Amino acid sequence: MEYLVGIQGPDFVLVAADNVAASSILQMKHDQDKMFKLSEKILLLCVGEAGDTAQFAEYIQKNLQLYKMRNGYELSPSAAANFTRKNLADYLRSRTPYHVNLLLAGYDETDGPGLYYMDYLSSLSKAPFAAHGYGAFLTLSILDQHYKPDLTREEAVDLLKKCIEELRKRFIVNLPSFTVRLIDKEGIHDLEKLSSGAK
Amino acid sequence: MALFQVTGFKHYAELRAQILPSGQTHLVDRTNHYNFGTKTQEFAVPVGVDPSSFLKSCDREGGSSAGRYLASNDVNKVIEINPYLLGTMSGSAADCQYWERLLAKECRLYRLRNNHRISVAAASKLLSNMMVGYRGMGLSMGSMICGWDKEGPGLYYVDDNATRLSGCMFSTGCGSSFAYGVVDSGYREDMTVEEAYELGRRGIAHATHRDAYSGGFVNMYHMREDGWIKVCKEDVSELIHRYRKGMF
Amino acid sequence: MLSSQSYQDPGKMKDYHYSGPVEHRFSPYSFNGGTVLAVAGEDFAIVASDTRLSEGYSIHSRDSPKCYKLTDTTVIGCSGFHGDCLTLTKIIDARLKMYKHSNNKTMTSNAIAAMLSTILYGRRFFPYYVYNIIGGLDEHGKGAVYSFDPVGSYQRDTYKAGGSASAMLQPLLDNQIGFKNMEGVQQVPLTQERAVQLVKDVFISAAERDVYTGDALRLCIITKEGINEQTVPLRKD
Repeated sequence: MEYLVGIQGPDFVLVAADNVAASSILQMKHDQDKMFKLSEKILLLCVGEAGDTAQFAEYIQKNLQLYKMRNGYELSPSAAANFTRKNLADYLRSRTPYHVNLLLAGYDETDGPGLYYMDYLSSLSKAPFAAHGYGAFLTLSILDQHYKPDLTREEAVDLLKKCIEELRKRFIVNLPSFTVRLIDKEGIHDLEKLSSGAK
Repeated sequence: MALFQVTGFKHYAELRAQILPSGQTHLVDRTNHYNFGTKTQEFAVPVGVDPSSFLKSCDREGGSSAGRYLASNDVNKVIEINPYLLGTMSGSAADCQYWERLLAKECRLYRLRNNHRISVAAASKLLSNMMVGYRGMGLSMGSMICGWDKEGPGLYYVDDNATRLSGCMFSTGCGSSFAYGVVDSGYREDMTVEEAYELGRRGIAHATHRDAYSGGFVNMYHMREDGWIKVCKEDVSELIHRYRKGMF
Repeated sequence: MLSSQSYQDPGKMKDYHYSGPVEHRFSPYSFNGGTVLAVAGEDFAIVASDTRLSEGYSIHSRDSPKCYKLTDTTVIGCSGFHGDCLTLTKIIDARLKMYKHSNNKTMTSNAIAAMLSTILYGRRFFPYYVYNIIGGLDEHGKGAVYSFDPVGSYQRDTYKAGGSASAMLQPLLDNQIGFKNMEGVQQVPLTQERAVQLVKDVFISAAERDVYTGDALRLCIITKEGINEQTVPLRKD
């Protein structure tokens, strides 16, 4: 029932994640942050089985920090994505696979912005826009229809609002608010939380 | 090995799969009076002005005495980790008791090693990391770790699949939905401590009432800067009678 | 041994003239019946059990008490699967000896209770199928009862019944010792004589109705003078 979305522009990536921490039929928390800061310009968005998400994301996060300490520089978004994928793939063949779906968004000095889609079966693909969860079924078509590679930040935010409005209209679960963040060459910026839900 | 086949010897793991179908222990299920997962809910509400981790716990004793037992050991669903940390228990009593006792030990060791108290965040993470190693093995635990550290009040929810959430209000256990209903609707930001006490009491009382169990107790704790205090222990059936007269 | 009893409900008997399909499956557990009871007073504790050992329709023994003396001030009552009861009590005895040799003192009741909890939880994923109740005197000489579930959760009580007839004994004890479900009653402290009489009465009643309880009642009365054992006959049918 969780929802993650990311939209890449010419010099930025916009990402959003819902704030609900659910346990069976209950919403335990309405201000859960599902984004993990992997480095100054990389965010990992993580949803999936309870417990797995934090465990896996923090493991990746800590390993990237360790890498920075050892080498004095950080991994690029594509390197981080491949590192994450490799770990997920290795765990998939172990006795304790992680059931997590991920979006990795980052900005690289040379490669520019990057958005990576990863699922629990450790497939990885770079995408101009991507979404996870049931919400993806409702919103990918909107993104398909309105996305253009040279969209501005304002247009990206408007597109995101369209997606969330559609969720509000059609999705059975009430997702009251979404954390929105934007990554560009300056780093990670917190944008205003978007709210949907019953008005 | 042939002998083993003849005698019906089964490997430990195989036996376990038989005894614990789909990770559930039927033996444990039989022990109705200790398995309070379906009977009890605990929750915490922040007190308006300072969101003091303010913890209430419903305590249903399976028909045991409240007399002398109370005086000696009146807390059996709230583990007093130290004067600044409390852990609540729901799910399988044995799982909660064992792991929270282990947590209490770790917190004590932390204090001895570092000369200061463990933070609530760290304590809850210890518990959650213990749960990681046993995921999918059929443990049943829904716990709230509540305390006061340098950061002020802290409240974390930790469960058997190692979910760890921080927050200012949680309810766990099977009746938690009923408790949420009462507390969510009665909660205000600017509540006094007394109002919060009453709201919490009401939440637990109505939840136990709806769970069709009578004779339980509301155990209420208040976590303050100078450590926890026990607020009250009240009979749910008496509370319900009181609410009936005044409310309905 | 292949057991025709379903492992899922070790306490249930099969229908007498059952001719349908039977699933034979090895079960490491059986239910041997029996009821244990412990009551704590101000300066005494009583642990009582019946002496019947049964399985399904058969009575294996009419003289198999379920009270096991652990120390001079502690007695444990074990019911459930007799095999596990024996294993468990032997492990406890061994641990008590080890404790005595390394610490030069005997374990107190509450220490035994804490130890038993960890022993039981050590088998969390293949439990001892035993319901334990410990009765004894605590370090202040007061009566203490600790009751356990099979995987080690425990708490201190003033009285507790366990085993096959626990659901018959407990409500009566709640009423007579805990003064539950009564209004305006004078809560008098429990004397040893009254406790003993009460224990006898509840077991006589349980033997009337529970097929797994009967034959005789073994009472262990623990006081600072020592443990006094009594045996009272019960129904033998």
